Amino acid sequence: MGNKLGRRRQLVDEKYTRPQGLYQHKDVDHKKLRKLILDSKLAPCYPGDDDCSCDLEECPICFLYYPSLNRSRCCTKGICTECFLQMKTPNSTRPTQCPFCKTLNYAVEYRGVKTKEEKGQEQIEEQRVIEAKIRMRQQEIQDEEDRMLKRQERSSSSRITDPNEAEYFSRAATSSSEGEEIVSAPNVATIRHPPRPRDNRDDEFDLDPENIMLMEAIWLSFQEDGKHQRHNPNYGDAAQLAKYATEVRVLASMAPQPEQPSSSSSSSPSPSGGLACAIAALAERRQIGGGESSTNYHNYTGNTSTYNIMHPEHATSLNTHLQDSHWDNNNNNSNNNNNNSHEQQQQMVESGTRFGYDDGGEYGGHDEMENGYGNVNGGIVPESFEEQMMLAMVVSLAEARARSSSAPEVAWI
Amino acid sequence: MTSPSASSRKTLSKIATNRLQKELMEWQVNPPTGFKHKVTDNLQRWVIEVNGAPGTLYANETFQLQVDFPEHYPMEAPQVIFIPPAPLHPHIYSNGHICLDILYDSWSPAMTVSSVCISILSMLSSSSTKQRPNDDERYVKNCRNGRSPKETRWWFHDDKV
Repeated sequence: MGNKLGRRRQLVDEKYTRPQGLYQHKDVDHKKLRKLILDSKLAPCYPGDDDCSCDLEECPICFLYYPSLNRSRCCTKGICTECFLQMKTPNSTRPTQCPFCKTLNYAVEYRGVKTKEEKGQEQIEEQRVIEAKIRMRQQEIQDEEDRMLKRQERSSSSRITDPNEAEYFSRAATSSSEGEEIVSAPNVATIRHPPRPRDNRDDEFDLDPENIMLMEAIWLSFQEDGKHQRHNPNYGDAAQLAKYATEVRVLASMAPQPEQPSSSSSSSPSPSGGLACAIAALAERRQIGGGESSTNYHNYTGNTSTYNIMHPEHATSLNTHLQDSHWDNNNNNSNNNNNNSHEQQQQMVESGTRFGYDDGGEYGGHDEMENGYGNVNGGIVPESFEEQMMLAMVVSLAEARARSSSAPEVAWI
Repeated sequence: MTSPSASSRKTLSKIATNRLQKELMEWQVNPPTGFKHKVTDNLQRWVIEVNGAPGTLYANETFQLQVDFPEHYPMEAPQVIFIPPAPLHPHIYSNGHICLDILYDSWSPAMTVSSVCISILSMLSSSSTKQRPNDDERYVKNCRNGRSPKETRWWFHDDKV
């Protein structure tokens, strides 16, 4: 109701029409500020709350919680009025940049308390972030396994492999499109790693509940994706499989390298790690399969490195350049798609620090999911809900391991 | 003498203290990979251990970052330097000063210690040569009386590293 009218004059307590003393504001036009707040053009200066009780939003600058925030016009990130006043220095000659996306002429608008849709949208975004984070971890594990496999190969045959891994990977990327099998074989093997025997599962419940919740959220979003991808063709085609395997491999090359691979137990491929990879790979596959355009693929690659996700400053040339050089290894269209990956980053910057967990979600979409995986992978995805949850927990365990083995997250090869 | 390091010695504002406490809490729950915060009771100066990322030129090397927060953090950027010996890097001076735009002109209050750390590690990781900046000697001589890197007028000309 009120939303339709847009700018209704809200009753704001007089005391919230001026700063609460969060900062020592200079040059604030109190009269103007009061008018803007009374006209609902800026959020009222409620005193920020230290803890997140009930339905409050956190201002990403002062880290305090408010009933509602202003939104930047450029990237709709929230900011409380008092922090906004700090950003806008009226006497400065330079146009103010958005602190989140660096767009010039930073401006905010106030839309009142977030609507249900907005909150839902945010939750979806946050889920995607979580998904991406897990994918990274999975890539790490998979990368580790790939290296193990390669090492085994190397030691069994006397073939000398180029020690320069980056080169190796990029060569693989080009050669396999012609259907060559060198790199794809071990990958397929990894993807089809058999599930861990059920009797071991008790050990796996000794997990941080947060991890489990995370995994559930991810699982949910996989299912969510599945709903949009009913019309996927199956993936039986061998050439496609090979191509896909290479894609995974290329991505793996962007993931970090293990420390001293043969020295410790942490580098030995664990069954659950393999399964985790399998699940991650399945999910990835569906994404790749679903998006026929290279854009989709790009967004997805953009998520693979921690750096991209967490770097708040997507506008630095440093970042852009690194990315470009990376894209060039896999894809020549990189420049066309930069905007896209940037957008993605932007979206992740803030939400990356917060983990959303959608506890109101439903576990539907089961049928679609099976269809989505197609006949190739039918053997891996369990049918019952219980088993699915088991899988999710296995992934979670793998993630916990990845964390505890302190595998690096950033590695530019 | 009014140097920025003097301003950073001013006690933190209320908002800075609050934010840093929260950042520290978040760090303890979810530290950026490759970094370790050395526990002290000084909220205004963090000493952070950095491990060079495996597979990069700095693998198996450990460095220390010193992060000093100004009174008006996060509206003002923290001062971030390597405690010598600093990594050999084309953008890191031997006195530990780091030429990285987000630490100076491009700082935004939406950034955090954690995000800065990740930027620094990726800067290290992307390096292809282990060498000092060309003007290292001159620059370090200029800074001899403890000048803060925030006083330097940096030129961010190199996009490649």
